[in-house]
Amino acid sequence: MPFTLAWASLRRHGTRTLLAMLGVAVAAAMLLDMVMMSTGMRESFRRLLVSRGFQLRLAPKGTLPFDTDATIKHTRRALVQLRRNPDLTAVSAVLGGTIHVPRNGRVITSSALGLDPRVQGDYELLAGTDPIAPNAIVGNEEFIRETGTRIGDTLTVATGYDSQTREYLGSRTFVLTGRVRFLYGAARQRAAAMPLETMWKMSGRDRQDEASLFMIRVREGVNLDSAIQWIKMQNLNSTVISTESALAQIDERLRYFRQLAVILGIVSLFVGFLLVTTLITVSVNERVGEIAVMRALGVSRSHIVEQIVLEGMAISLVGAFAGLLLGLVTGRYLNGILSSFPGLPEAIDFFLFQPKAAWTALGLLALSGIAAGVYPSLRASSLPIATTLRQEAIA
Amino acid sequence: MILPLLLVALVQAPQRTIAIDERLAVDAKLAVGDKVILSAATPASPTGDTVIVGAIVKRSTDPAEVARSEIRIRLHLDHLQSLAAYGDRVDRFAVATRGEAATEQAIDVINSAAFGFQAHRSKDIAVATSKTFQVVSRFHKAIGVITIVASAIFLLCIMLLKVEERRRDVAALRLMGISRQSVMRAVVIEAALLALVGSGLGVGVGWVGSQFVNWYFRGVYRTPLAFSVVTPSIVTLAVVLSLVLGIAAGFLASLRLVRTPPLILFGR
Repeated sequence: MPFTLAWASLRRHGTRTLLAMLGVAVAAAMLLDMVMMSTGMRESFRRLLVSRGFQLRLAPKGTLPFDTDATIKHTRRALVQLRRNPDLTAVSAVLGGTIHVPRNGRVITSSALGLDPRVQGDYELLAGTDPIAPNAIVGNEEFIRETGTRIGDTLTVATGYDSQTREYLGSRTFVLTGRVRFLYGAARQRAAAMPLETMWKMSGRDRQDEASLFMIRVREGVNLDSAIQWIKMQNLNSTVISTESALAQIDERLRYFRQLAVILGIVSLFVGFLLVTTLITVSVNERVGEIAVMRALGVSRSHIVEQIVLEGMAISLVGAFAGLLLGLVTGRYLNGILSSFPGLPEAIDFFLFQPKAAWTALGLLALSGIAAGVYPSLRASSLPIATTLRQEAIA
Repeated sequence: MILPLLLVALVQAPQRTIAIDERLAVDAKLAVGDKVILSAATPASPTGDTVIVGAIVKRSTDPAEVARSEIRIRLHLDHLQSLAAYGDRVDRFAVATRGEAATEQAIDVINSAAFGFQAHRSKDIAVATSKTFQVVSRFHKAIGVITIVASAIFLLCIMLLKVEERRRDVAALRLMGISRQSVMRAVVIEAALLALVGSGLGVGVGWVGSQFVNWYFRGVYRTPLAFSVVTPSIVTLAVVLSLVLGIAAGFLASLRLVRTPPLILFGR
């Protein structure tokens, strides 16, 4: 019976109920987006870091990978040292740089990685083969499109530009062997990869035997802390970054967005709560006479409370379900805006949908719906029956 | 120019002076006159120059630095060049001109005559380096649009409730001969007043919120940067938007009411 009465009461003022549900839906959409944002960035980044199974990274001392132009020197020696440890199953040295590709009368500038294709964790091969040969190069979609090349084509690549003589340095002819997707590449960023030894040769003395980053895969079951301690003892003038410490650094940098998510989430929840409370309060005020009659007929107080709380919950839940769908759409739109952050890996999602986020948003709204109905329902159930009926009759 | 700094120990015989930012002074408990060693080497081989902290400078208000917890020091150019084995090189020159025309002329002259130089306007560089903030700004605008939609629905709902609460009053007015237009006008004026007072309160709450945001994030990021600014144009936009929404909500709610026959409004 409470269900039937609650439903009848909501239907009586259809426009009002619809508007309230719409309001709750917008608030729910915002709430879902904010819950997704507060947890999604971290989870998305974690997935990206562990996607190729490298648990540790070595960056130049005091920096994050590719955060500055700093490099780790004596890379060959470091590789030998690190590969001596049987617990480290793969070590990949990566050198980042810029390359210039003169093509059809113009010069295309692109970022480039020098790496060992056999153990790399930076790209995913989409077509063709890895750049194993010294003159092999692979590029991402943007690089291939801009240079107007196809797999198998040759292209001239330079690694530097002498501003004094206005000449490109380290020029070399390459064969494009594959199309790849760089896992850590920014959106619309042109990027290519070549063997590390080749990049060293092209870079001249300046960056010889240097690396921007080491990626290290640790044998399963080995304690990461002990591996980190062992690496630190090798005196490689670098900072060892575990997935957890990288996440902590990212948390620090993206703290603003997390805090914004919490604030806006609370505001959305409050707005939804306020809307439902207002509606239910007004609705109860309008039908105090009805409620008094029901009480006079013997309907219990708990029954009245139940009916009014159900009304609040119904508005909140229907609005919340609609809001979840709306939230996915707006989340996608907002993610599109934030993913254009310069330098941010394209694979990072600020608004990552996780069932837990949806359940959290739904649960919070259901609770707010119940809370919204509590006060008006208690007030309605404690109305003095005779006085209320008399006042209604006079009115 | 910036150098990764290694503070090793206090030693004697200072040769040069450096300027450090407030953040470093607080973190390393340094004061003007303190001696430190600057080195580009590792802790294992702390060769470097002993210098005196000559000045403590305020952190710059460059938004690009906000999220980075870097420390910065400033050295004399020749000192840094020798310390970092950088040779007789610099990363860039800053050139002051006597106005916009002189800037254009200087850019033309440098780009056409100078060997291996490329001159850029400071504002162009600012635009290129502020992409992060353009993205944040677009994000805030999108959030703002969602908030406006939510507010509009909320306002419409409230107006509908307020108007419906007075069904009998309106019915009585209509039966007394008050025209529909007068009733609608009264409701719209009431809605406009409500929106005006509400937006006034909102501006107050917004201003307090803005002060809090600045206080909080300045503390978090240790920067004098203003994170939130309430400008007259923002206030005007908020008030105008609120008024438009309020009037529209009042109009729609009253329209619904005056279209209903008075006796039905009475519940007869």
